[in-house]
Amino acid sequence: MNQINLKKNNYKGYMLITLMLVLIMTIAGILIFFFYINRFRIVTDANRYEHYYVMITEDAKSSLWQSAYEGAYKAGLENNSYVDLLNSSFDNNYSKEDLMRIAIASDVDGIIVAADESAEMTDLINEAAEQGIPVVTLYSDNTQSERCTFVGIGSYDLGREYGREVLEIVQDKQNSGMQVSTDSKNNVTVMTGVPTPVKVTVLVNAYTQDSGQNILCSGIQETIEKEKQDGVEIELSLVSIDDTNAFSAEEAIRDIFMENQLPDIIICLNELNTTCVYQAVVDYNKVGQVNILGYYDSETIINAIDRNVIYATISIDTIQMGKFCVDALTEYNTYGNTSQFFMADIALINKENVALYLGGEAEDEE
Amino acid sequence: MKNKLDRLFNLSLQGKISSIYILTNLFVCLVNILLILGMNRMSNEMELVYRDNLKLNELLAVLDDVQNNMTDYLNAKTSDSLEKYYRSSQNYQTLVEELNDEISGSAFDRMKRNIKHMSARYLEITDQTIEAKRGRNVEKYRIRYENATQMYDYINTYINSLNNQQFKNNSANYNELAQAFRLFEMIGIAIIIIIVLMNISSIIKLVGAIISPLKTLAKSADEVAKGNFDIELLEVQSRDEIGVVTGAFNQMIISIREYIERIRHSMEVERIMKEKELLMEAHLKDAQLKYLQAQINPHFLFNTLNAGAQLAMLEDADKTYQYVQNVAEFFRYNVKKSNETVTLREEIELVDNYIYILNVRFSGEIHYEKKVDASLLEIEMPSMILQPIVENCVNHGIREMAGEGRIWLSVYQIDDTACISIRDNGVGIRQDVIEKILGGSYKDENLKTDSNGIGMDNVIARLKLFTESEDVMSIISDGADKGTEFILYLPVREREEDDV
Repeated sequence: MNQINLKKNNYKGYMLITLMLVLIMTIAGILIFFFYINRFRIVTDANRYEHYYVMITEDAKSSLWQSAYEGAYKAGLENNSYVDLLNSSFDNNYSKEDLMRIAIASDVDGIIVAADESAEMTDLINEAAEQGIPVVTLYSDNTQSERCTFVGIGSYDLGREYGREVLEIVQDKQNSGMQVSTDSKNNVTVMTGVPTPVKVTVLVNAYTQDSGQNILCSGIQETIEKEKQDGVEIELSLVSIDDTNAFSAEEAIRDIFMENQLPDIIICLNELNTTCVYQAVVDYNKVGQVNILGYYDSETIINAIDRNVIYATISIDTIQMGKFCVDALTEYNTYGNTSQFFMADIALINKENVALYLGGEAEDEE
Repeated sequence: MKNKLDRLFNLSLQGKISSIYILTNLFVCLVNILLILGMNRMSNEMELVYRDNLKLNELLAVLDDVQNNMTDYLNAKTSDSLEKYYRSSQNYQTLVEELNDEISGSAFDRMKRNIKHMSARYLEITDQTIEAKRGRNVEKYRIRYENATQMYDYINTYINSLNNQQFKNNSANYNELAQAFRLFEMIGIAIIIIIVLMNISSIIKLVGAIISPLKTLAKSADEVAKGNFDIELLEVQSRDEIGVVTGAFNQMIISIREYIERIRHSMEVERIMKEKELLMEAHLKDAQLKYLQAQINPHFLFNTLNAGAQLAMLEDADKTYQYVQNVAEFFRYNVKKSNETVTLREEIELVDNYIYILNVRFSGEIHYEKKVDASLLEIEMPSMILQPIVENCVNHGIREMAGEGRIWLSVYQIDDTACISIRDNGVGIRQDVIEKILGGSYKDENLKTDSNGIGMDNVIARLKLFTESEDVMSIISDGADKGTEFILYLPVREREEDDV
């Protein structure tokens, strides 16, 4: 009898185990399945935000604008606002004006625009202001409009920095005893006709009526005038770069190098020009002969400084710039008013401090 | 759980097997349902992936309608196109209202929000354009038309961009989902296979468990069929039909064993009976043979004697007649009754005849006295029993003594035994001879020629067979010349008494 009971219990046990296994498997299967399904349900950022700002830039892909956008975006998140780079929403390339119209029609809470001094831009900014959308001009201003704030860099200060760098280059050259090349023909002459003048060319954008550019130029000029040593001749010239069409800037810069008379120093006022000049100097084998004062601290430019192709460049705190834009909009939306100008910090990068900006790998190389 | 299992074990066979099948089928069914639900859910999910794209396409189509209808109206100003315009703008508004209006972290949501706002603006402008056209304000509606067209372009581009980006995103999602779907399919198939295997194994195990007592039963039945009843009784493991059959089988085995035992016993009895019968017959035949040897021809003799008796009567010789008559009776008895059961009365009559004859022969030497309980006269007994004993008394007891010989015959009853005592006052018998006679081993070497040839051993053997008892006779002799007493014991059978 005992044995029979044992047998019975064995079968009971077997049944129980089978039951349990089936149940466990089924439950596990269901759980796995639902976890799997839910993975597809997760939206990356399902938060809701109070304000919606858009940023309209020249060229969404350059690291300067990317970096500025990043600053604005992060600042926006802190202020419960979302900042979109409107350029990247579209597959085709709309102009800043088109994007402004779209932003106004979209009834956003604020617009950050890399403006210019054109009348159309003025009208659009005014139209936005009329509809109660605050507009912040970033980097380049539209002074005539009803924009609430301009966030940029101190162009005059920047000019002074460039001026000082020019003088430094001249000093270096004199010290090294190098003969500065002379030139009688001068097409875009601005300054005196001293026997062996150091030729400095500033590349300016041809069709951009940017007041900052003018201020910057005068900053350079004044600094050189004030601080140059006696007997040093410096010839400052402006070369317009046609930037209206795509790829035209690069062509224009190549044109300069095709000419016989090369300037000793080229000052670039935007990131693209800097990169183009740098590439041209390398291609035409003019390294050491032409000194470049660059603009912005993209990786390419920093590396070029490290390789002694670019003499120095200006680093703009773009993150700060972006942050200022959002701060200004938040302030405006909260208090109805904000200060007229925000100035982002700038810093000079040259051979001496380039290591700080280089990545870890570059430091290792040195 | 345990109780339920217990209950399962106490179900009928049909119930057990049915419940196992139902249970396993339910498992498979349940798992299948779950899998189907899962598949359904996944395919829904897959459909959802492109739902947004479809919606955006619809939105685009309706936007086109609005623009085209507005243009038509501006071109021709037909009421038909105006109606169409209103209808499509209403449609568009409805569709646009479904769009998200929140500023969320999802780029698609924000784009939808912008599209919604722009669309509202666009509809406003188109309405104004239509209004201006109706008011025939040419300048205004041209400008507004241009604005509307520009806005239309923007919205179109925006929707297309959104559609494109969403499509890219969805394609990636779709691929992942499709992979998940395939994986899920494989897992589902694996689960079904595992569960089916488990079901099969549990069905085999459980049915085996249910059937195993049946197998044992079949084996035992086979043994029994081969004639081996000495098998161990089976254990009743469950209360189902098999349990019942097993119990019945056990009962049957027990009963069969009992019957066999009984038959064996009765066969034994029958064998003994038959043996007894055969023996009796043999003794009788022996007696008859000896009798026939002794008698020349009883019938002839009897007839002859009868003729003698008639002759004596004719001559008025009464005594002779009496004598001859007695002798005739005596022989007739021998002829008639030699192989039958007779009554005690007849036997005593024979003894009377015999004594008479002897007394005539030996001229009244033997004094014969009898004292008989009349109620016992009708009891049955084998024939030719008393006469040989009396003959024995005469030949061995009285013949060899001097003086007057006496024979006493008495019949009496002790309990349910009838005692027939035959006593003489002759020479007596030695004890060792008595024992030999009773043991049946005594052989009388010098049988007298005038004896009818039936020995004591024959008498005792026939009495034993008749009464089925060993204790049929006792011989008492107190010593030489003190006479001998033979006592026969016969059962008084009620039935015979009733018959009388």
